[in-house]
Amino acid sequence: MHDGRAIALDQDGYLCRLDDWSEAVAQQLAEREGIQLTEAHWEILRLLRDFYAEFQLAPATRPLIRYVAQQLGPEKGNSLHLNRLFNGTPAKLAAKLAGLPKPSNCL
Amino acid sequence: MARSMLVISRQAPWSGLAAREALDIALAGGAFELPLALLLLDDGVFQLSAGQRPESLEQKDLSANLKALPLFGIETIHVARDSLVQRGLDIDSLGHPIELIEESRLGDFIARFDHVVTL
Amino acid sequence: MTTLHVVSHSPFADDRLQSCIRLLRPEDGLLLCGNAVEALRDGTKPRALLDEAAAASRSIYALDEDLAARALAGLPEWLRAVDYAGFVELSCQYQRVNGWT
Repeated sequence: MHDGRAIALDQDGYLCRLDDWSEAVAQQLAEREGIQLTEAHWEILRLLRDFYAEFQLAPATRPLIRYVAQQLGPEKGNSLHLNRLFNGTPAKLAAKLAGLPKPSNCL
Repeated sequence: MARSMLVISRQAPWSGLAAREALDIALAGGAFELPLALLLLDDGVFQLSAGQRPESLEQKDLSANLKALPLFGIETIHVARDSLVQRGLDIDSLGHPIELIEESRLGDFIARFDHVVTL
Repeated sequence: MTTLHVVSHSPFADDRLQSCIRLLRPEDGLLLCGNAVEALRDGTKPRALLDEAAAASRSIYALDEDLAARALAGLPEWLRAVDYAGFVELSCQYQRVNGWT
């Protein structure tokens, strides 16, 4: 529930509709995962929204790392940084918090 | 060393699932860093045509997915030149990084890979 | 890498066979099965393409039971008919199999 509006999640906790996403929704989703969002998180979530708008898919881990490195530089586009922000499963968890569908091809 | 694979995609994006499935194989292989290449042959070259509006058929945008291939480690899309020319597509306005393969080189190109899948 | 190409669609409804012949090399093989064996009908365009490929030393096979089921007559000299065991043998003889699904 958000602002009195029910927001549909799929069975894995991903938003059913991309357009339901807002920063407040991201906050709520993050709380469910026990994550306190910082600016370092937000810049990745915004990047993922851009990624989806451009490519129409949620990236698996390696493409996510490559994209972040391309856009924000290698000090952020590496598995250490992303794993630390997103509890070791950046592709899945960051996609979830950014309101994207679950990435396919992810172990 | 992982065995290399070639995915030959030869169906148009708007009819049936073959083009979608071929691209999904390429993306999945790329996500796991398999040495993989994609070859568009016959009607498969229609996947490159610019300005597609798949939403009018309630389909997802395959060409947006194609643009993601470099991030999945697949830097260029291989395209059979004759298929492109026969279908009236302009090589200069495709909007994807492609490598053209001449008709006479197709057989040898395909033979370079350990596995080949045609969809 | 040598390849056994397997085609099962009728050449009269679809261009898989024509496409496959274009990229067939002398060291590759082409196996016709299912409706693709209709390509062997005498006097047709697909047959002419196959005759041409065979003349250019391409190896062309067809599945016996599909030939029998369609009672195809006037089969060419160059054709090698195989049963299922022969199909399996061919699959091992070539380094990989490419099915034109």
